[in-house]
Amino acid sequence: MATDKNYGNPELENKLRDRYYYTTDSNPEFLEDVKTLSRTIAHMCFQCGTCTGSCPSAPRSSYRIRLFMRRGVLGLEQEALNDPDLWLCTTCYSCTDRCPRDIAPTDVIMAMRNLAFKYDIVPRNFLKTVQLIYNTGHGVPNNDVNRAARVKLGLTADPPTTHGYPEFIPGIQKIMDHYEMKDNADRILAEGGQ
Amino acid sequence: MAGNMRQYAFFLGCIAPNRYPGCESAAIKTSAKVGLELLPLKGAGCCPAPGAFGSIDLHVWYALAARNIVLAEQMNMDITLICNGCYKSIWEVNHILKHNDELRDGVNEVLKEVDMEFKGSIDVWHLAELYYDPKICGVEKIASTVTRPLTGTKIAVHYGCHLMKPGKERHFGDTENPMWIEELVEALGAEAVQYRNKMQCCGAGGGVRGYDITHALDITNEKLINLQEVGADALTEVCPFCQLQYDRGQVEIEEKFGQKYGLPVLHYNELLGLAQGMSPDELALDLHGVDCKPFLEKIL
Repeated sequence: MATDKNYGNPELENKLRDRYYYTTDSNPEFLEDVKTLSRTIAHMCFQCGTCTGSCPSAPRSSYRIRLFMRRGVLGLEQEALNDPDLWLCTTCYSCTDRCPRDIAPTDVIMAMRNLAFKYDIVPRNFLKTVQLIYNTGHGVPNNDVNRAARVKLGLTADPPTTHGYPEFIPGIQKIMDHYEMKDNADRILAEGGQ
Repeated sequence: MAGNMRQYAFFLGCIAPNRYPGCESAAIKTSAKVGLELLPLKGAGCCPAPGAFGSIDLHVWYALAARNIVLAEQMNMDITLICNGCYKSIWEVNHILKHNDELRDGVNEVLKEVDMEFKGSIDVWHLAELYYDPKICGVEKIASTVTRPLTGTKIAVHYGCHLMKPGKERHFGDTENPMWIEELVEALGAEAVQYRNKMQCCGAGGGVRGYDITHALDITNEKLINLQEVGADALTEVCPFCQLQYDRGQVEIEEKFGQKYGLPVLHYNELLGLAQGMSPDELALDLHGVDCKPFLEKIL
């Protein structure tokens, strides 16, 4: 006699039995937002897993790009944006190059990170980069050791960038202020977010 | 001489001028010998970093990259650069804005506030692709400038991610096992060696180096193990950020994981500088985290 498959978990059993199980956590607009920002056909994912198989972050963490693709299709916005693994993508684009459906999963991750920032979900190091660029024009600014080395090479102590021409910095600040980016970064850092 | 030189606006980025100035200096001097004049792009800033900055807000990323591009448009000159991260920001935003009216209009609305307009009148090139292009320079011309061949050295190549990938939107062909940078390396008299998983990421991108350094270094460590297996004397790349991850990363890996590799990491322009007779001092190789001496002893 055939026996029913059983996982020994009543809640899960109920979920599996209910063919019309649905969750109110789903936000259908999430997929549309992701598609607009990423400019890729995220809804075409058929979950083959080539992306996770290509991913250098997957073997050393619980980050699974395929899971994020599914969350996108199902509109599981909060589940996707609150998962700290979202920030483990090195944006190497291996998954994008190998995706058999010509989707760019890397750009899906970038879009989800942008959406997370709108909810103030963002690791501190990203906000510090924002502050550095706002204040100096550079994400990695010059320092004294490097200035001395530059002079020894016959270069100017500061490169001919916003460092050598600080009069260009207000232009950068104006552009960032247009998007209220620096204010948001300062506020989130001050509130002691993630 | 000046009449025969092709002129480019040299976009520096951050890591090259502010951490490895030898790359900047070498790029200018080595390029002059193959007929490329690199002129300063005054007032340029961060590209801005595609991962660390683009992750927060892609629209600001478009606008700030466009500002850098417009500076070169005002000089009426194509941009060249020596960093894959910068390539992604500057090349890709230039490409996107040229082909997407909606995004271009959005960017121009913001740029108007700083009296700028993106016109789409210039192109963006990685210096390495200019070196490889026979119409501009070519492998043979590179070889003809070599005065100190790197004979007897085994050099591995790290291509990095953001130069050639995503392959469908770029123009470099195969991204699984490309060989063109190896050709540039062999033009210097060195032997270019192959190793397992050559195209894997260095681990630093996407803001991961800042977010979880152990995770980033673990990816780097895997690559270093593969490099050690083939006995490479040095690793070369065309991206100062990858260079930082491999070079300073080896110091960090020793601290964190207790593994020591001592593999010198040199930007292709530093390598070219050495082959053209520049001294280690002229390249500020003393700023490298990993001592380059074992490699230098083989060629000097």
